[in-house]
Amino acid sequence: MRSSRYAFILAGGVGSRLCLLSERRAKPAVPFGGKYRIIDFTLSNCVNSGIFDIGVLTQYRPTSLNQHIGTGRAWDLDRSRGGVQILQPALGSIQSDWYQGTADAIYRNLIHLRRRRADQVLVLSGDHVYRMDYDVLYAFHLANRASVTVAVTEVPEDAVSHFGILEADPSGRVIGFQEKPRTSVSRLASMGVYLFDRISLVRWLAEDAGHSQSSHDFGKDLLPRLVARGEGVFAYRFADYWQDVGTLDSYYEANMAFLGDHPPLDPSDPDGVVHTQSADRPPVSFQAGARAGRSLIANGCRVSGTVERSVLFPGVSVAAGAVVRDSIVMHDTVIEREAVLDHAIVDKQVRIGAGVRLGVGSASTPNRACPEHLSSGLLLVGKSAELPDGLTVGRNARIGADVRAASITADVPAGGVVNGPDAMH
Amino acid sequence: MSVGRRIGGPILGACVSDVVALVLSGGGGERVSVLSSERAVSAIPFGGKYRIIDFVLSNCRHSGVNRIGVLTQHAPTSLHDHIGSGRPWDLDARDRGVMILQPYLTRGTAGWYRGTADAIAQNWDLIRDLGCSRVLVLSGDHVYRMDYRALLEFHAASDATVTMGVTRVPAEETHRFGMVTVDGEGRVAGLIEKPDRAETPFASMGIYAFETAALGAALREGAVDLVADVLAPLARAPRGVRAFEFEGYWEDVGTIGSYYRASLDLVAARPRLALDDRSWPILTRDEERPPVRVGDGARIESSLISNGCRIAGTVVRSVLSPGAVVGADARIEDAVIFQDVVIERGAEVRRTIVDKFARIGEGATVGGPGTAGPRWLEGLVLVGKDGRVPADARIEPGVVVGVGARPEDFAPGLLRSGAQLANHTWYGEDE
Repeated sequence: MRSSRYAFILAGGVGSRLCLLSERRAKPAVPFGGKYRIIDFTLSNCVNSGIFDIGVLTQYRPTSLNQHIGTGRAWDLDRSRGGVQILQPALGSIQSDWYQGTADAIYRNLIHLRRRRADQVLVLSGDHVYRMDYDVLYAFHLANRASVTVAVTEVPEDAVSHFGILEADPSGRVIGFQEKPRTSVSRLASMGVYLFDRISLVRWLAEDAGHSQSSHDFGKDLLPRLVARGEGVFAYRFADYWQDVGTLDSYYEANMAFLGDHPPLDPSDPDGVVHTQSADRPPVSFQAGARAGRSLIANGCRVSGTVERSVLFPGVSVAAGAVVRDSIVMHDTVIEREAVLDHAIVDKQVRIGAGVRLGVGSASTPNRACPEHLSSGLLLVGKSAELPDGLTVGRNARIGADVRAASITADVPAGGVVNGPDAMH
Repeated sequence: MSVGRRIGGPILGACVSDVVALVLSGGGGERVSVLSSERAVSAIPFGGKYRIIDFVLSNCRHSGVNRIGVLTQHAPTSLHDHIGSGRPWDLDARDRGVMILQPYLTRGTAGWYRGTADAIAQNWDLIRDLGCSRVLVLSGDHVYRMDYRALLEFHAASDATVTMGVTRVPAEETHRFGMVTVDGEGRVAGLIEKPDRAETPFASMGIYAFETAALGAALREGAVDLVADVLAPLARAPRGVRAFEFEGYWEDVGTIGSYYRASLDLVAARPRLALDDRSWPILTRDEERPPVRVGDGARIESSLISNGCRIAGTVVRSVLSPGAVVGADARIEDAVIFQDVVIERGAEVRRTIVDKFARIGEGATVGGPGTAGPRWLEGLVLVGKDGRVPADARIEPGVVVGVGARPEDFAPGLLRSGAQLANHTWYGEDE
């Protein structure tokens, strides 16, 4: 009987370095590129590679992700057999509990392999922006008779400390694996894309589950152990664009990279269309007097003012006299007359009052609440916040979700923090 | 004058669940020229990302009319592609559905549809077997947003065998419409096809709610045309035909002039047709396209630009369908541009409708002011699907460039007003 393909997508990540953007949604559900969510890239890679049987593992704030995936219709994953299934942490059997680590999450869902005929199991991360034909990965894996193949990409020397770094011999066999090393001779980073031989995976996960000192994570525990004892671990070198959008700065820059004439990845490439849940929105309406340059503007937007070097998600309205510059503005945010946005990341359904100025002054004061993530001059406005007319907000500031206009009584200085009614931290 | 109006208050669900809608989409529309040479009029793109038929299908969906037959005859491929299983309108469900009703052969007499009534008659067995007590006949060529529940309620409350939707039109436009005279009780007293002058302000919207039995009986008499052979006799019968006035925006976009004006009305300061009403979204088969990519030197004003477009030049008072590309220093004014059209660098396109996949070469000048050329064209330029306008060509107002026109068709690089280039139909040979 022909083997079929099955993929697990790990989508439970907290994404704490994305600060407000992932405060109320899992990182894979964070909007990206003017109409997508980060997980769209991985889901689309699957269907474009002929994988139509997928389990998405969720844990942290899954509502937004569940809503986005729905029945899977946008990806042609609403099927009678296979399709997409959300695999949530559950109670009810001896193996029930919150997922402890990535390996543990898969371990607790091995039941889903039982009636499937997949000889290999693809384990993916829902956190990355890239386009990959997993077919090629399967071919590499089979040609090398690997027990597990890890897709790797070359990263700059100063970035090795953010990734799992692999060392491979000329045949592609992995001979070293370090999770987030301070320095390394190798610059091959794990992309969070693993293709396992099914029998090996089941054996290794059961074995790892028995290690009381393990944190049950693929990168921290399982892979280093497999490499150390000489299992058939191979590295597949991926040369195209791959972006981890784990920090606010990398998130911002990755979005901006899509503005140029030559974006790193063309979402409409017929060989790899990026699919997403699209609402029924009319075309972008540019009014008399509108100005726009070097921007991505999605259906449902209404532009009367000026938009430069910015990404506007569906349904954003920019009133006459307003200026949006070097900013990312998510769904259905309303920008009133004469407001000016500079280097702002504004979440969904925000109301920015007339004459509001976002991103004024110096970038040298980091944010008071999250100085390590918000210090490069960007500013953040959380979902459904209301900014009163005439408000001025300095760089590196953070305005929480659901903040009411009446509760902001003074301008917000650089690095300032305004917490929403039920702030998480 | 007592004509029916929208009725307030609760709407009875039973009324719409007992209705089958028939959308007449068979027309080839000579009056829209190359735009319909390879597609039915109702499959022509409108408003950037929509097709004309989306308005009627969305009206049905939002009105709860969930059983729909679409009668096709002329070049139905685009319609089939577009409608598919009816998924964008949530019609792919057990108790709903959209059927394409095409002409077919039998050992007996059936064949091409000879007229609107004949088209319904040839499908009568199927329509009758659905067992609905009313048939709502609609036209696929009209653009409007209407809640059919009000009309159906009105019909159910009256004793008429038919209720027809009517709308007020300006006195100088009666020649475009079937005009309807209405008596003091709101009954239809007369139907006059496209008169130069009319005593009545009411035009037929091509919307008819029939009692199924009465329609079936009328069709048995060998009716060919729905208005002449069915409605006119029924209006003279005792129970008669009632008029229901619709007061919103309604436009028949079945001519080049009306299609063009309705398109440009969407980019007026106050468009009469709202595309952005979240309570009544226009549903369509959405192509998965990235957001509009606006380049460095772009200027876009008073325009509708769909996802997948890439704009580096200037676009003013125009409507662009998904995937259209406007090169640097190109200028598009008062134009309607369909899917995946490429306007190359430095080209100028004014008062022109450019069909899918056409390409306007670098520095070409297409269209402009004035009404030169054939009268029906109103001075517009039409560029048919897949047409290739070579670099630096000049096309005067009032010209039709046929489907698949090739650069060599433009011999001296100039097309004078009134020129009409023939169609080259593609039969699978290599480009």
